Amino acid sequence: MCLADLEFDYINPYDSSSRINRVILPEFITQGVLCLFYLVTGHWFMSLLSVPYLYYNVRQYLQRKHLVDVTEIFNLLHWEKKQRLFKLFYLIFLLFLTIFWMILTALDEHD
Amino acid sequence: MGTENPGRPNFPARPVATPFAAAPPQNVMPFSSSGPLVGSEASGFRPTPPAAPQPTVPFSSSRPLAGSQSSGFRLPPPPRYNDPSLPPPASNVPPTGGLFQHFPTPPFPSTVQAPASRVPPVGQPIAQPPAPPVSFRPQPQIPPVPMGAPPQSVNSAPPNVNVPYSVSDSSFPAPMTNFQSSFPGYARMQSNADLQPPPMQSPFPSHQGGYAPAPPTSSTPFLSHQGGYVPPPPVAAPLGLQSRDQMQYPGSGPPGSIQGLIEDFSSLSIGSVPGSIDPGVDPKALPRPLEGDVEPKLFSEMYPMNCNPRFLRLTTSGIPNSQSLASRWHLPLGAVVCPLAEAPDGEEVPVVNFVSTGIIRCRRCRTYVNPYVTFTDAGRKWRCNICSLLNDVPGDYFAHLDATGKRIDLDQRPELTKGSVEFVAPTEYMMRPPMPPVYFFLIDVSVSAVRSGMIEVVAQTIRSCLDELPGYPRTQIGFATFDSAIHFYNMKSSLTQPQMMVVSDLDDIFVPLPDDLLVNLSESRSVVETFLDSLPSMFQDNVNVESAFGPALKAAFMVMSQLGGKLLIFQNTLPSLGVGRLKLRGDDLRVYGTDKEHMLRIPEDQFYKQMAAELTKYQIAVNVYAFSDKYTDIASLGTLAKYTGGQVCYYPGFQFAIHGEKLRHELARDLTRETAWESVMRIRCGKGVRFTSYHGNFMLRSTDLMALPAVDCDKAYAMQLTLEETLLTTQTVYFQVALLYTASCGERRIRVHTAAAPVVADLGEMYRQADVGAVVSVFSRLAIEKTLSSKLEDARNSVQLRIVKALKEYRNLYAVQHRLGGRIIFPESLKFLPLYGLALCRSTPLRGGYADAPLDERCSAGYTMMTLPVKKLLKLLYPSLIRLDEYLLKASAQVDDFKNLEKRLPLAAENLDSRGLYLYDDGFRFNIWFGRALSPDVAMNLLGADFAAELSKVTLSERENEMSRKLMRILKKFRESDPSYYHLCHLVRQGEQPREGFLLLSNLVEDQMGGANGYVDWILQIHRQVQQNP
Repeated sequence: MCLADLEFDYINPYDSSSRINRVILPEFITQGVLCLFYLVTGHWFMSLLSVPYLYYNVRQYLQRKHLVDVTEIFNLLHWEKKQRLFKLFYLIFLLFLTIFWMILTALDEHD
Repeated sequence: MGTENPGRPNFPARPVATPFAAAPPQNVMPFSSSGPLVGSEASGFRPTPPAAPQPTVPFSSSRPLAGSQSSGFRLPPPPRYNDPSLPPPASNVPPTGGLFQHFPTPPFPSTVQAPASRVPPVGQPIAQPPAPPVSFRPQPQIPPVPMGAPPQSVNSAPPNVNVPYSVSDSSFPAPMTNFQSSFPGYARMQSNADLQPPPMQSPFPSHQGGYAPAPPTSSTPFLSHQGGYVPPPPVAAPLGLQSRDQMQYPGSGPPGSIQGLIEDFSSLSIGSVPGSIDPGVDPKALPRPLEGDVEPKLFSEMYPMNCNPRFLRLTTSGIPNSQSLASRWHLPLGAVVCPLAEAPDGEEVPVVNFVSTGIIRCRRCRTYVNPYVTFTDAGRKWRCNICSLLNDVPGDYFAHLDATGKRIDLDQRPELTKGSVEFVAPTEYMMRPPMPPVYFFLIDVSVSAVRSGMIEVVAQTIRSCLDELPGYPRTQIGFATFDSAIHFYNMKSSLTQPQMMVVSDLDDIFVPLPDDLLVNLSESRSVVETFLDSLPSMFQDNVNVESAFGPALKAAFMVMSQLGGKLLIFQNTLPSLGVGRLKLRGDDLRVYGTDKEHMLRIPEDQFYKQMAAELTKYQIAVNVYAFSDKYTDIASLGTLAKYTGGQVCYYPGFQFAIHGEKLRHELARDLTRETAWESVMRIRCGKGVRFTSYHGNFMLRSTDLMALPAVDCDKAYAMQLTLEETLLTTQTVYFQVALLYTASCGERRIRVHTAAAPVVADLGEMYRQADVGAVVSVFSRLAIEKTLSSKLEDARNSVQLRIVKALKEYRNLYAVQHRLGGRIIFPESLKFLPLYGLALCRSTPLRGGYADAPLDERCSAGYTMMTLPVKKLLKLLYPSLIRLDEYLLKASAQVDDFKNLEKRLPLAAENLDSRGLYLYDDGFRFNIWFGRALSPDVAMNLLGADFAAELSKVTLSERENEMSRKLMRILKKFRESDPSYYHLCHLVRQGEQPREGFLLLSNLVEDQMGGANGYVDWILQIHRQVQQNP
């Protein structure tokens, strides 16, 4: 995801975009699976939190905008970086929540 | 190629010390200098001779004689300030323009004329200072210089025109207001005063030496009648927007005409009188660029070593010194670069070959040596003007410095004296041996292509250009044709006949004989000729309606990927087979006005974008020639040209007989013009500023490196810059455009254009140095890009909004000091901006909605406008309209008469006289308009016997009479003056619907048409929005 920063400097747009594009679909799939997983395991709160993200991804995919476009990459660089950073923070937040829940449940069981 | 420096342009650096650093921007305020003089010196002050041109005057950008204005105004600096009755500026000023209507009119006719008379010298741009008055009215002429000391005693108030001027920038802010606000009323009274000839004008200069300025005399009586009021009026009037206009319509100074360009702005009175009904604007007084594009002179005069503006034009040559200032400049801040612009004979860019030393560049920022670098340390070091790093001078390049610090060999070093040079690049600048010019032709041979006759023209043209293809003897050439299959031609030199190979497997394209498809032209010349001769007949009976364009493109890519080069695509049918097939779209009316509208203007299939990216990577430029009368999805095809630095030529409904000549000319030009191959371009600029966005046909290879597989003189690129630091500490910003390319002769070269621009701290100064051509050029690119992501309506609104914002900001700049009442003011330098904005909104890519332009034409015009250089773009936006019949009827019309002919008319239907014959020329076509009441002789002479027939079927050709020959001569001359496109001639008769409508009337941008505004409405609308408080 942070490949966007990479090509900021000395990597040419062809390589960088193909590298970015390679990880995008797997990312989408993992995210979807995770969301489903939350739902199935009954953590409805967590799955609710990740639904917006999933929705965004799906919408991008349906609009066929999910892949980075070589020709436009520099015009969109700014936006892409912002978007990716936002996603990253979102994921980190989710991660923290997960850990938090985990510890909480662990403590509960302990008691 | 790729070595064009990975260095980033911005490095922290100290302020650049250059010769220029010492001299602050000069054009600050020409008038201010005379300010102090006004009060103190009465008779001692000697006016500057009016003729002395002052290059620093802000207006000078558009007017040759502008200098005289300022001097004219300075002339009469009478000692008025000692007069106690000097009204504080504000007191003079009626709060609204309306007040002035109460002025006693009587004084005017008599002596008042005198002050008025002073003015004209000012406003007449074309007149020599002592020119005879245009509409001289015998007025009691005041003896210009009655005595040594001007009769100031009489003066009870400072009626003097020049007071406001001189003070304008110093401590008395208000005097200007006088002019301003007094106008609306004033003008009304003396309707013709603006044009009043200066009775004194001619005597004046001659007396100057010994006499004190006369004007006071004249103004005295004036004052006395005025009861203390000082309407210093006339002065400003002629200065108005365009004195040119006024000259053209003498005597048309009706109320509301243009007034007051005081210090540096023009203003336009829009019925400022409170209570007046609908504000009226005199349409005749609005500014019009009837003289075409005027390059900003000020800029090049200030920095004589800058490259010529045809290569690089900045939207404003005053670079803002802070981010806050930049954010108040609502127009684009950037540049338009045309790196290979055609230079007239004698001004060619000098070629420099550093054989022994290698190219001298800054170690850190990789700037090329240029006229603005300074040599220090007895010539052993040089300081880079962009990053101010001290570099060593290589031994072979060393030269001693003379007393002034200049190198003694300066005159032998074009790179140190000229803003544009070309370096011969050594092998470090090559990733591979320089490529030969390669031309590959991909020709559609489906049934519609055959029927239109396109193939024949193409084959003939290519054949006739074989001798002139650049790069002999290395030039390579190849052909492929396609319908539902792809046909390759083996043209090995050992063959006598080309061999045709057909590949019909579209899913898995392969190239038979990869080596012999692209052949050296000089070796296989006879085979190529045989092929071209037989090509039209080969497919004569083809009935295939399919088009496997995508696979054919892929195949062509495979053939060319070894070398790169230029791929010319001749496309006549919507791609229907294989990868990249396209659907019919664009005929769906319902899509317009919805959020999906823009989807029509972007490529439908990702294939085209990916293909374009691949093509650029392998240095292939694509030129698309499209011919279909049906929808061919130029939006998708054009993408190929857009990202590969190519161009789109669209000939809707191509017919051999009509468009043949145009295609022939344009294809020939495409093949034979000087082309730069496998090039990259970068623009560097000083610390603190950075180019952030680029607009045009190219592909960005990194944040600031444009990849251009092929460049030629008809391509221009726009870029916008932003300030990276909140405050610029340097006083000058330097720009350096470097284009690294392979010339057709096989030499690797670097073309470097260097320019300097002052950093300014004041918004007014930015406006003063603005270049309307560049602004409009960037604007149009932004607007066209906007149509690709939103509705047409939005794109138009954004243009309007930015103009409004800019004018509002400008208004705020002056509204405080000067009560402007209801007038719209704009900087002299940008006086055409509203008109060009209007023209842009009504240009083919942006106009109207579904019905106003076919989608394909819209897209192709958009692609074309993205590449046009400034001059051509302005011509396209505001075409010239010329009356021809008078010239044709004149018996003794010689070539020298031709000059008179170039009088352009405003683009409004009211200027079309039904007895006349008019030529409308937008740089791409001629429309000849026959008035209904045009004498039949003329029509007969020009059109022959079928002059009464429907003109759409008639073509213009030379007939056996003088008049026709004359007309053809004119057209030829116009065509020669602009060879980049062929002007196809359309004939249209008045009242011939619907052709008249779309050929001419819809292009008369000043008229109201459909839902679009006319010029007057547009100005009013902008004005209203400007006045609304934020």
